[in-house]
Amino acid sequence: MAAAEEKKAEEKKVEEKPKVEFKFPPNETQLGIIAGIIAALITIFTGLPAVIKAVGMIFAFVWCADSVRKTSKYGLGTGVPSIGVMGTGYGVVGALMGLAFARFGNIGQFYPGVLVGVVFMGLIGLVSGFFSNSEKYIALKIPRLERAMMELGMAGTLALLLEISIVTGSLNFDAVVTRVMETGVIAFMFILSGMAMFHPYNACLGPDERRERTLMVPVEISGLLCIILGFALLILGTSPWGPWDPALLIVFGVVIWVVFYTRFIKTCMKECYATVGTGLIKTIE
Amino acid sequence: MPLEVVLLFAWTLVIVFLAFLACHFEDNESDIGSQSNPNSQVQLAPQVGQVHRFFNKAISGEPLSNALYQGTAGMIAWMLLYKLEPLVPDAKWKAAVVAIPLAVGASALIHMIFATTAHCGRIAAQKRFEQPIYLDVFYGHLIPIATHGFLTTFSIVSIAYIQSNLGALAGDPRLNHPFALPLLAFIWGITVGSIGSSTGDVHYGTEREFQDRPFGEGKRVIYHGRITRYADCGIRTSKDISPFCAKFGSPATGLTFGLIILLENWRTLIGMKLGGYLPVLPANLPLVPTVHFATAEGNMAAVWGIILGLIIIAAWIVGNMIFVKWIRAKCGPFVGA
Amino acid sequence: MTIEPELIWIVVYVTIGGMLGCLGAHLLPVGGAPAAMGTATGIATGTVQIMLGAVVTGLFTAATVSSFSNNIWLVSLAGAVGATIMIQVVMFMANVLYAFGCGVVPVSGRVAVDPITKAPQTAYKTPQTDGHGVPDVVFISGTVGGFMGGFGGALMYFALLFYANFMYGTAVIAALSIFVANAILAAYNIRGTTEGYWDPKFKKMPKALIGSFCVSVLAGIVVMLATIALGGGA
Repeated sequence: MAAAEEKKAEEKKVEEKPKVEFKFPPNETQLGIIAGIIAALITIFTGLPAVIKAVGMIFAFVWCADSVRKTSKYGLGTGVPSIGVMGTGYGVVGALMGLAFARFGNIGQFYPGVLVGVVFMGLIGLVSGFFSNSEKYIALKIPRLERAMMELGMAGTLALLLEISIVTGSLNFDAVVTRVMETGVIAFMFILSGMAMFHPYNACLGPDERRERTLMVPVEISGLLCIILGFALLILGTSPWGPWDPALLIVFGVVIWVVFYTRFIKTCMKECYATVGTGLIKTIE
Repeated sequence: MPLEVVLLFAWTLVIVFLAFLACHFEDNESDIGSQSNPNSQVQLAPQVGQVHRFFNKAISGEPLSNALYQGTAGMIAWMLLYKLEPLVPDAKWKAAVVAIPLAVGASALIHMIFATTAHCGRIAAQKRFEQPIYLDVFYGHLIPIATHGFLTTFSIVSIAYIQSNLGALAGDPRLNHPFALPLLAFIWGITVGSIGSSTGDVHYGTEREFQDRPFGEGKRVIYHGRITRYADCGIRTSKDISPFCAKFGSPATGLTFGLIILLENWRTLIGMKLGGYLPVLPANLPLVPTVHFATAEGNMAAVWGIILGLIIIAAWIVGNMIFVKWIRAKCGPFVGA
Repeated sequence: MTIEPELIWIVVYVTIGGMLGCLGAHLLPVGGAPAAMGTATGIATGTVQIMLGAVVTGLFTAATVSSFSNNIWLVSLAGAVGATIMIQVVMFMANVLYAFGCGVVPVSGRVAVDPITKAPQTAYKTPQTDGHGVPDVVFISGTVGGFMGGFGGALMYFALLFYANFMYGTAVIAALSIFVANAILAAYNIRGTTEGYWDPKFKKMPKALIGSFCVSVLAGIVVMLATIALGGGA
């Protein structure tokens, strides 16, 4: 019932022509394919500058947030955050596996081996989605939950791999363990990636939620992530491109964050019922 | 400096004190932002026609949001320490004194950013219920949220710093906790959040949010969404919640986390003492811990720790039974409509 | 390449750990948002959240113990006891808050008589609610749930540390990640609130356990393959 209402509202929105000029999102399948391909391509070319990896990371996060959105719309019976954390958890395991396989089949700076982790996490996501959705087992009965969980596993793995490759500048397992895992940077990545996945829909939850507006939030959070990862890269000094690489990443992060944050807040203030300086509440009838 | 067992215990007490502060302020901060479980009522209120002036800080459940603040602060503190500690090799505490507050300040900024996106996003998604964004509510709550969050994060990052340097502080760096500072901050962030949400929220959700309903009953389903919107004078905002909950809910929550940290650390330390692992550490104990290292004393220490833990578990079960019996006898069956 | 027994142990322990996590999450009394309003029995937070809080507390102690002991049972039990103490203190203090802060007594909403202490329940319950607080039987169920969850988490952590040769930070994050997936399957199965082992929802538990088994086996195989790719087991 609520879902049907929401759909109606969405259609109305489309007819009204959204005032926001931000026209990025294609539909969910297209977004998944585009983001997946771009992120996967950027992941396997490890020698790229950090800024380009950051672009791939943003795509992966937008994909994740979109998956979370289309699943959580139907009500999960537990908070929205749980599915985002699941995506991040799969991402960490998948990233570990991808890193372990990175040294197989590489050609120079080109590591297609990492995609093994992505594929396996897609498989695990599919299995967990099947068990959650199947009538015989948990029976959540959410349309296309299997696909959404698969996408979450894959996109989470890609995002984590890109973050790791930004900080270490390589996909060498030992380097990653000493620089990311044992220093605890992984804890920060874990939680901020999770936030980038579930915070957008969780923060915009409500009957008048709008996809374009929601999808600005993962981009904004990725900007924050870029800033802090840039500092980490600067301090660890692992970039093959010297200190300009992290500096560029920080500037990129700041620009992305400022643009999308101000745009999101302005959009919210424009699209809400009213934005008033102060005021009393309606009296109870 | 040789290993001083008394210093180990003393630092543990400092950690417990910090834990008490951390969870106290965590609960208060979540009440000001109306986060976590009671937020469902603030979210529901406009749908049942109750437009309100509460702050809707739906960052996520408290465990994850606190893991965010503390993990971020721990990460930034680690970066600063990485750069600053080589500058003062003889007195590393100087680096910590600079690094931890700076890191926590940066994390407070991030906290505010997430709070703004959550509040604006949620209110904008309630357009059809005619809930406006009140700018004075929006701006006025950011500083209280950030300052309370600052105190929580500061305490947790300090705990993480002490624990990741516990051995060094007590005289032998081989006793440091094997986890790095950001990881410890992340772990205690999750714990502090889950405690704050499971105990502290009760006082806010059951009592303060429905204060015009009778005291002494669970809040019935028909009340849901009909939150108390009027303060002692004027209209209630989320800031009015904090002084009330600071009198009982928050200290009790702080006590919970303090007790957990106390029992966990003392159990391990006393186990190490009884097992004979302290005060003389094995000479071949490596500086960087490896999992394959073990001694008979170490195993005995683990056994004693588990035995003490089982005694504590049994004591809590009995204590809860006595408490439930006593409070039932004291209050009696439900009276009222 | 021959598969060494250590590699099989990784899969076995990760599977057991994941299933224990799923089972433990079913045993925890979770009240969710209604419990924060005193409308439902249990701990006033979500399944995943309280399970994570308990397990990381256990993992902290397990990590300390694993730095001076290499016995898998000692490390796992240390983690289990840590998680149990965390859950117990939380449940007890929640009772204190309900009693003194809100004036309600712990009472179960699903049964008329407490199955363990035989104390009557219905007379103490507010009408139109589903119970409140953490009564005795719920407390015991939560204790067992915390113990199982903590044991599972620490077991997984130790398997990753000892057999897969991960470092401490890597092992704990990977163990936490696999654990989260299992706890979430349990949370989907519970859907909202549960009181523990006699709750009608507990009968659905085996279905989630099958799902948890498959996901954990796959995760264990992933870790095993990663270990092989990195150059064999311990």
